[in-house]
Amino acid sequence: MSRAELLSPEGLRIDGRRPAELRKITSTTCVLSQADGSAYLEHGNTKVLAAVYGPREARHRALVLHDRAILNVELNVAPFSTGERRRRSKNDKRLLEMASFVKQTFEPVVIATLYPRSQIDIYLQVIQHDGGTLQACINATTMALIDAGIAMTDYVCACTAGWVEREAAIDLNYMEESSDTSEVTIAMLPKSSKITLTQMESRLHVDKLEEVFRLAGEGCKQMYEVMDKTIRDRAEDLARKMAV
Amino acid sequence: MATPAFTFTPSTFQKLHPAEFFRRFTTEGVRPDGRLLDAFRPTTVHHGVISTANGSAMVRIGGTTVVCGVKAEVAEPKLDAPDQGYLVPNVELSPMCSSKFRPGPPSEQAQAVSEAINRVLKESKVLDLKDLCIEEGKAVWVLYVDAVCVAYDGNIFDAALAAIMAALKNVRIRKPTYQEGTIKVSGGSTATDENSFTLNLARTPLSATFAIFDTTLTILADPNVTEETISDGQISIALDETGQLCGVTKIGASSCSQSVMRDCVQSAKKRTQQLRDIMNQQ
Repeated sequence: MSRAELLSPEGLRIDGRRPAELRKITSTTCVLSQADGSAYLEHGNTKVLAAVYGPREARHRALVLHDRAILNVELNVAPFSTGERRRRSKNDKRLLEMASFVKQTFEPVVIATLYPRSQIDIYLQVIQHDGGTLQACINATTMALIDAGIAMTDYVCACTAGWVEREAAIDLNYMEESSDTSEVTIAMLPKSSKITLTQMESRLHVDKLEEVFRLAGEGCKQMYEVMDKTIRDRAEDLARKMAV
Repeated sequence: MATPAFTFTPSTFQKLHPAEFFRRFTTEGVRPDGRLLDAFRPTTVHHGVISTANGSAMVRIGGTTVVCGVKAEVAEPKLDAPDQGYLVPNVELSPMCSSKFRPGPPSEQAQAVSEAINRVLKESKVLDLKDLCIEEGKAVWVLYVDAVCVAYDGNIFDAALAAIMAALKNVRIRKPTYQEGTIKVSGGSTATDENSFTLNLARTPLSATFAIFDTTLTILADPNVTEETISDGQISIALDETGQLCGVTKIGASSCSQSVMRDCVQSAKKRTQQLRDIMNQQ
């Protein structure tokens, strides 16, 4: 079985992108009728739906905090989302780990002190999985939280980056992720360039780390542009409709 | 001394006396969301929304949205049917779709809807299961049909059944190749008519659901979530393209006369035809 060349001699990746190029991003907010805030995000073929309910009454009285809201994140991967059908149980460790990453990413950013004794529920549904699930989840959550009107200090933009054969590349797809490339996910606050999450599982030489991080930061800034535009367009649309 | 009169804003009245609030509308022949009593909400169907699945569809009936994906896998056949494949339908109602659902194992409603749909699919013999046979007694195709509700605004049965039928129509399965006694299913290049096959659906059952209100003897078509909560019962009628009944489910403590049943079946015939036109258009 021949191994597909991840980076062609001209410097193009498997899907024809340049190393520093993001996949086609489609985003919409306010897609669900029942949730307080919702967003749908596509990174190429990775499709994620985020729904935010809250702030609302906390489910377990024992967990209630008197001075701030608690954040609860649940991640659900649809059985048809991956190449082979995998019926992941709700308590799958990988999913719980990813959900806790999302929670920890947003805890410092959401101004929870404005909503004491309440709970903010974030539900994520991965509809199609083609690499970069965690980054898509974080980006979709940011947009859904904004759509729900929950106060945050800044956007949280996430991007994956890795070392593909000879060069650093961003927004890795499933084939690049599953082959022997190192991959790091970074979530950043674009205005202050502060990083709220870094996650990497593979091996990466320390000399290459700086280049990969720098490229991921640029990817996050690009994500910010796209997300901000969607939110502003929607706000303008709403303002126009309300003015009538 | 005059007794003080209580006045409420409409939203307060709705919370305090939901049934009475509702009655004020139905006596005029409309519902709080502006629909007539026998009107169904606007419905859209999108095919092939998920490329990783063998077949997929998304159906929106008003605010209720269901995404359905079908995955085909090779498995050993059941002992009592060695030349038949099988369908495994499942409807997921997660906390994401509505604040009514709690996280945890599937709720009673999700299980009941899954089972009702399973019954309709099995009894109406939607597909000849022998078509799913690869090698008798050794290998057959199993179709996992997963309908995930992402937004719940009542009438999950109609939306889930429509999504499942649209997804099944959309299914394309790679033809397996045989190599030294093992069966290989290739991924790789795009599916074409030579290396893949679509399902031959014998019938396409689609349904229409109605809510029953005992005290006012009103039948409402396509109840939304508030109407479902205050209704006394529900009737779901599934029909195929020839107008034959594929399933009738009536739940709830209410009673319903024969003429009401007949009216519902007539209304269901019109509605399912409308649904079919929508499905074939898009």
